[in-house]
Amino acid sequence: MSTVDKTAIPTGDEMAGMTQEELARLGARLDGVELVEYGPRFEADSPAEKRAERQVAKWFLLSAASALAFILIFVMWPAGYQDPFSSRQWIYALFTPLLGITLGAAILCLGIGVMSIARRIAPHEVAVQQRHVGPSADHDRRTLGAELMDTLDKTGLKTRRGVLKTSLLLAGGGLASAAVLAPIGGLIKNPWAQGKDSELWVTPWKPAADGTLVRLTMQDGSFVRPEDLATGSIMTVFPGVPGGATASDAAVMLFRLRSNEPIRVRTGQDGFNYGDFFAFSKICTHVGCPVSLYEDQTGRVLCPCHQSQFDIHDGAKPVFGPATRPLPQLPISVDQHGYFVAVHDFIEPVGPGFWESFQGSTPWGSHPEVQPQPKPVFPPFGQLPKENS
Amino acid sequence: MQAHSGGRFRRRSKALRRITGLVGLVLALAVLGVGYSAFAPTGNSAAAGPVDAETIAHGKSLFDTSCISCHGANLEGVDGKGPSLIGAGQAAVYFQLATGRMPAKANGAQMPRAIPVFDQKGIDAIAAYVQSMGGGAQLPGSIDIANADLAKGAELYRLNCASCHNFTGKGGALSQGKYAPPLNQATNTEIYAAMLSGPENMPTFSDAQLTPTEKLDIIKYVRASNDTISPGGYDLGGFGPAPEGLIAFLVGMGVIVSITLWSGSRS
Repeated sequence: MSTVDKTAIPTGDEMAGMTQEELARLGARLDGVELVEYGPRFEADSPAEKRAERQVAKWFLLSAASALAFILIFVMWPAGYQDPFSSRQWIYALFTPLLGITLGAAILCLGIGVMSIARRIAPHEVAVQQRHVGPSADHDRRTLGAELMDTLDKTGLKTRRGVLKTSLLLAGGGLASAAVLAPIGGLIKNPWAQGKDSELWVTPWKPAADGTLVRLTMQDGSFVRPEDLATGSIMTVFPGVPGGATASDAAVMLFRLRSNEPIRVRTGQDGFNYGDFFAFSKICTHVGCPVSLYEDQTGRVLCPCHQSQFDIHDGAKPVFGPATRPLPQLPISVDQHGYFVAVHDFIEPVGPGFWESFQGSTPWGSHPEVQPQPKPVFPPFGQLPKENS
Repeated sequence: MQAHSGGRFRRRSKALRRITGLVGLVLALAVLGVGYSAFAPTGNSAAAGPVDAETIAHGKSLFDTSCISCHGANLEGVDGKGPSLIGAGQAAVYFQLATGRMPAKANGAQMPRAIPVFDQKGIDAIAAYVQSMGGGAQLPGSIDIANADLAKGAELYRLNCASCHNFTGKGGALSQGKYAPPLNQATNTEIYAAMLSGPENMPTFSDAQLTPTEKLDIIKYVRASNDTISPGGYDLGGFGPAPEGLIAFLVGMGVIVSITLWSGSRS
């Protein structure tokens, strides 16, 4: 082993005469690392080396076997769906876990194997590294600071070159704006573009332009008649117009309350119900979750998201939780064919309130032109006109 | 050198402790799961029995000894104790008696499921008696879900039932101590009777709202979600991603920390 001064860098000729290990030690020493102990872990071909090698190879073989098992399971497993009534359900249920276990084991064993090389086979070494304590030397810090400031001064960026700085600022700002606009710009639209028919004002329950009232339909599209609901029941209904069942503001809960229960309605909403039938928006006025946990005896409807509770027996006013406004009531009646219809649209915003408010004579956030209207008069049952088909 | 290897030993034993702790957690979870499944009971099913004057008379005698104090001598109910049963119907009586909720053991927010007091004959008799007093919803003769439509049932369940009973039928909380019970203990007949009669705070689902066929579809879905094998071995209450994520985070973090400690333990 040659003795080299810590700072002295050997010449090319000297290095040409050094062994590989000496060069490695030299490199470490020039980096301030002194190898106290350094050398192979085993005698070549010793039983200990063979044992260590087997122990590492064991992990790699295990990884290979797991990967092979993953491939075989992926290709050959009978993975078709088996319903829970089938005796072969467990075959279906095992498929995904087996894929996860085998692939995970393959990755894990490979990693353990690589770490085992470092732990069991890599050269044994004990190294001491010199580390300086505290800040850099005084002259280092002073010269570096001067270097930076001198460059800045000589470029003139500190005192002059206003055009350069301004244009650079503009370039940066423009690029940032463009980058932000790309993802966000598409979200900006004018919610009032359609005037009084704007999305926030109307729901699909609004009668058609020719005055046709929208029927209440079940999810499968069939119309609802009063006799479909037993006393003390709830049904989720949708407007009977194209896209009505998927409109986010249109879901309505239709209740049939008990006729002997004292029911209160909100001011100005008399006659919105049809006998014992009451229809309220299903969209929570807090943040718009579907409320439908209906307690038949207490008349409460619970919102599953934040535990708001609305009292159906008292105009669906909130009685608990964060919601502050009652669920909007849909005015309903029965048309001449015996099906439920919405007399007109909601008279207040559905779901979480928004910031446009026409306060004064109208309820908060009301549509400026949609106000409670008298119920249309239909001929009584038994005198129904023949339906033209 | 001695001190050095001593430090190594301490670090290694710390890693070992973490690994044993993790193994302990997994074992505890496994024991909990097995114990839970061992205690989850299975139900029995029943069909409506014959109805004749003798049965009704027998039902009245049972009613007069077990139900009269809260529901009144003529089923008119007792103020502050129990509701009127006029028009309640056979389905409601079957549900309440077969699930042991009635006769009530104690006052509370809600009657819990219990071991039935009456045998099948007694239940049929009382049901026939109540049915004879004002009619009401009745169970069909047989409830066979073999040909029911599982997918349709799942859709209807999500729309009508899942908000309270959870999408895997595990039940859930309502206001002020009330709850929607888990459906794993209920028999097919009991689920049918519950939909038909709307016990306690559950709404009623008439045959016009959910046809008998649709009711069978829903029962099939409840059975299916109950019998589905949980791929992970334990469903953590069937509440979905929140508890699953928590356990995945805790267990996964434990494993990652253990491996990190092990791989760094060689100096």
